[in-house]
Amino acid sequence: MTAAPPEQGTGGPAAVVPMALPVPSVDAAPASQPSPWPHRHLLDLDVVSWPEIELVMRTAEAMKEVLARPIARVPALRGTGVTILFYEASTRTRVSFEVAAKNLSADVVNIAAASSSVSKGESLVDTIRTVEALGARMIVIRHATSGAANLAAEHFSGSVLNGGDGWHAHPSQALLDLFTLRERLPGGSLHGRKVVILGDVLHSRVARSNIWSLTAAGADLWLCGPATLLRGFERWAASSADVPGHGRFQVTSDIGRALRDADVIMALRLQRERMAAGLLPSVREYAARYGLNLERLGLARPDALVMHPGPMNEGVEIAPEVADHPRSVITDQVTNGVAVRMALLYLLAGAAANDD
Amino acid sequence: MTEVASELGLLVRELEISRAWLVDPCADREGPGEIVVRDGRLEAVTWLDEADGAGIEPDGVIVVPGFIDLHAHFREPGFEDAETVASGLAAAAHGGFTTVCAMANTDPPIDDASVLGRVQSAAAASGSPVELLAYGALTAGRRGDSLAALGELSDAGAIGFSDDGAPIRSPSILRNGLLYAGMLGRLVVDHAEDPALTDGAEANEGLVATVLGLRGWPAAAEAGPVGRGLAILADVLRDEPRARLHFTHLSTGAALELVRAAKAAGLPVTCDVTPHHLALTDTWIAGARDWAWQAEIDPWLGTVQDADPFDSTLRVNPPLRDRADAQACLAGLLDGTADAVATDHAPHTRVDKAVEFGLAANGISGIETAIGILLAAVDAGKLPLRRAIGALTAGPAGILAAGGWAGTRGLVEGAPANLVVIDRSDTWRVDAGSLRSKGKNSPLLGRELPGRVLLTVAGGRLAYEA
Amino acid sequence: MSGRQIMTADEVRRATIRISHEIVEKQAGTAGLALIGIQRRGVPLAHRIAASILENEGVRLPVGALDITFYRDDLSLIAQQPVVKGTDLPFDLNGATIVLVDDVLYTGRTIRAAMDALVDFGRPQAIRLAVLVDRGHRELPIRADHVGKNVPTSREELVRVHLEETDAEDGVVIERLERTPVVAGSGG
Repeated sequence: MTAAPPEQGTGGPAAVVPMALPVPSVDAAPASQPSPWPHRHLLDLDVVSWPEIELVMRTAEAMKEVLARPIARVPALRGTGVTILFYEASTRTRVSFEVAAKNLSADVVNIAAASSSVSKGESLVDTIRTVEALGARMIVIRHATSGAANLAAEHFSGSVLNGGDGWHAHPSQALLDLFTLRERLPGGSLHGRKVVILGDVLHSRVARSNIWSLTAAGADLWLCGPATLLRGFERWAASSADVPGHGRFQVTSDIGRALRDADVIMALRLQRERMAAGLLPSVREYAARYGLNLERLGLARPDALVMHPGPMNEGVEIAPEVADHPRSVITDQVTNGVAVRMALLYLLAGAAANDD
Repeated sequence: MTEVASELGLLVRELEISRAWLVDPCADREGPGEIVVRDGRLEAVTWLDEADGAGIEPDGVIVVPGFIDLHAHFREPGFEDAETVASGLAAAAHGGFTTVCAMANTDPPIDDASVLGRVQSAAAASGSPVELLAYGALTAGRRGDSLAALGELSDAGAIGFSDDGAPIRSPSILRNGLLYAGMLGRLVVDHAEDPALTDGAEANEGLVATVLGLRGWPAAAEAGPVGRGLAILADVLRDEPRARLHFTHLSTGAALELVRAAKAAGLPVTCDVTPHHLALTDTWIAGARDWAWQAEIDPWLGTVQDADPFDSTLRVNPPLRDRADAQACLAGLLDGTADAVATDHAPHTRVDKAVEFGLAANGISGIETAIGILLAAVDAGKLPLRRAIGALTAGPAGILAAGGWAGTRGLVEGAPANLVVIDRSDTWRVDAGSLRSKGKNSPLLGRELPGRVLLTVAGGRLAYEA
Repeated sequence: MSGRQIMTADEVRRATIRISHEIVEKQAGTAGLALIGIQRRGVPLAHRIAASILENEGVRLPVGALDITFYRDDLSLIAQQPVVKGTDLPFDLNGATIVLVDDVLYTGRTIRAAMDALVDFGRPQAIRLAVLVDRGHRELPIRADHVGKNVPTSREELVRVHLEETDAEDGVVIERLERTPVVAGSGG
């Protein structure tokens, strides 16, 4: 784990970006050179170092340039079988991954599997083995149970990219969020910026992965929501100061304190099941006390950005006027999602090839 | 030591162990000594004086009374893929156990004499000399609505009653069960869990569950039912002074504190802790692999990954707790709040564990690794050897005796030999091949544990030989 | 610079000028020509050639930069070689005569990847190749139209081109590799 990241220079599109990691010569023997992306799987961001995250950012920038071409396609993953295995319904993310894989010329199989492996008869492990036998070398998996991607990785000889597992992790989302912020924040750096994640943190894999990436980026991170949806996070925050390579984050139920002078507000989706579980009195009360409306947006800095991982419950966690606000980068998040996912598939393929 | 050289199950005709370190917690005694077994009886236990015993240390070969496990799941009838009485007894002997109490959550559950009889027959048919005692279910079908055939079960030899696997949901059933069982002179063993708080729970509610996004299992889910049980016991004692309540696998400091206070107030309550709750913590789910008594600071989750996270062999009920609770369990064992260590041996098939963490069957296959874990604590200076052995011998023996068990307690001259010989200078590697149980679901696979069991003699017969 | 020097700064300069003349000669003028340098060192070379042509012909040719990272045929190199962001083609390729410019021509795989990439951007009328050094050992049927210097090498050697724009001085050296080159694909 490395120390806090250096101040970023201007991140605008210009000449060749100076390398933080060495650029080996094409002629030299590959084995004698360092390997910048060592992870065969991407399951969580807790084990990804800041230089590795920066590599993803640079790679995603290059992928964005590819996406701007008349033919937005490169042959980098030609002949590589990529299976997208989604146990949870999600059109947006599933299609994002499919587009990303296809843009890399991979052979894509997209499976919208039934949820709850065991009750439907075929276990997750059986499905992974079948997918492998059918030629997949990479699997993108989304599942309702925390740790499902780890289980898939245990039983698969190729690479696993976690597309979201239960409450645990959604690494590609956090990375595309980071990419979007670096693109849109003046100076291109999160160092010292106040970022607020607002809403149902307890059940959010997006929040958890963003905690890892944003604290590695040096942001001044705040989590805010009703106490029942922040349960356990104060303890994590208290120990966060000691984590090498990451900074401390704050937890509060006081929305005024959280939003004051914020540079970025990320609103999280509130699922209606939370009311049924007795965690909240009602949707109306939540929206009234914690919904991101224009008045609350006004507490933040005048140039503060608004984010949301989607899909949105407009009128609940975020007001429509805020979702459509000029400072909302929500659509950028979606666009950047393809570039970031292309970058991840590309880097994982390289790591897997080096493992052989 | 002269070789026993007979087949498993056969009477030990002649066995002499000279110059070993004897530990007899039932006599509260340990020291250099010699053992002679003849025709199945412990003919002589000789404690050597300082001169003759010079050079014999407790870190070499030790001889101890056979271990007693208050809590194991042998899965027969109904789940023989996971374990049978025969394989379970073989595993027990490998672990140094000469008496095992099997829980009643079989299929059909042991809620009447005929099922109890099946289990007892299976034990006899296995040829193992390890004594198998069985609990009867407290409620019919373990459904919690009405009492099982407690009298019939008691007459047929059940050593106590428990719905373990499940808590006793109804306070009135618990009260009536305590009263009726007390009348019969039998123990009631409660699995303390509030199902309303544990619905869907996957791991201990704490830092690890928060970071890994696992549904939390709060400590209050254990302390609440313990408090309830103690209050009910206090009431019942007025009508039936023989009532006895035992809490099994307590895992939190909060619950142990309640038992501590109740004992101080004179309530006849006992409890046990498992080896895994003493030694493992929820950080293992995040990939850590250090014992609970090591590192004072929690290793940061994710950056210290000795193993892959979400290992389903770590999913157990009650869940592995945090370091503070694990240390409270050890403290409870040291100060006598916890009367015994019981393994809660819970074998599972590979299929039942090779699923997502939250869907994996609960349980650790632990009857063979119990002594190794305790010896690791002894080696680390956290637990005196005599207390460790006592937790597996004197402690459970006392509890069973209160329930009517008449077995030998300790190294008693003239009694049938129940003893275990362990070489503390050796280690053994836990793996699928070395485990005798069908259940390979141990988080210790691949690990070297201190202390190798060389010999187990149960009821004067050879149970295990290395 | 370490290693054995095979081209001095002057030789690099003269070779570049000669190549620029050859390019114009082959085209019988400058009409339709565009230069595309392959990252990294092909790019400053392409700019130098363009500057030379401007001086001699008074015509400023369009110059682009091409990053072939995503077009290589060997996945095992991905982890080894981080992305060099730098594809910039600010002109229309359709119908143009493209001269690809690179520093060293070796196996030919880089050029194959470059042609693959170009085809995704448009349909040039023709593609030619200019390199500063041709070191032999072709693995594909690819040849350069314009060569600064032919240098026979062995596989245990490494040819390094230094350019002032990227390396503070001009020159070409040959170094011996520490170990036998690992065949791409059987990574460490």
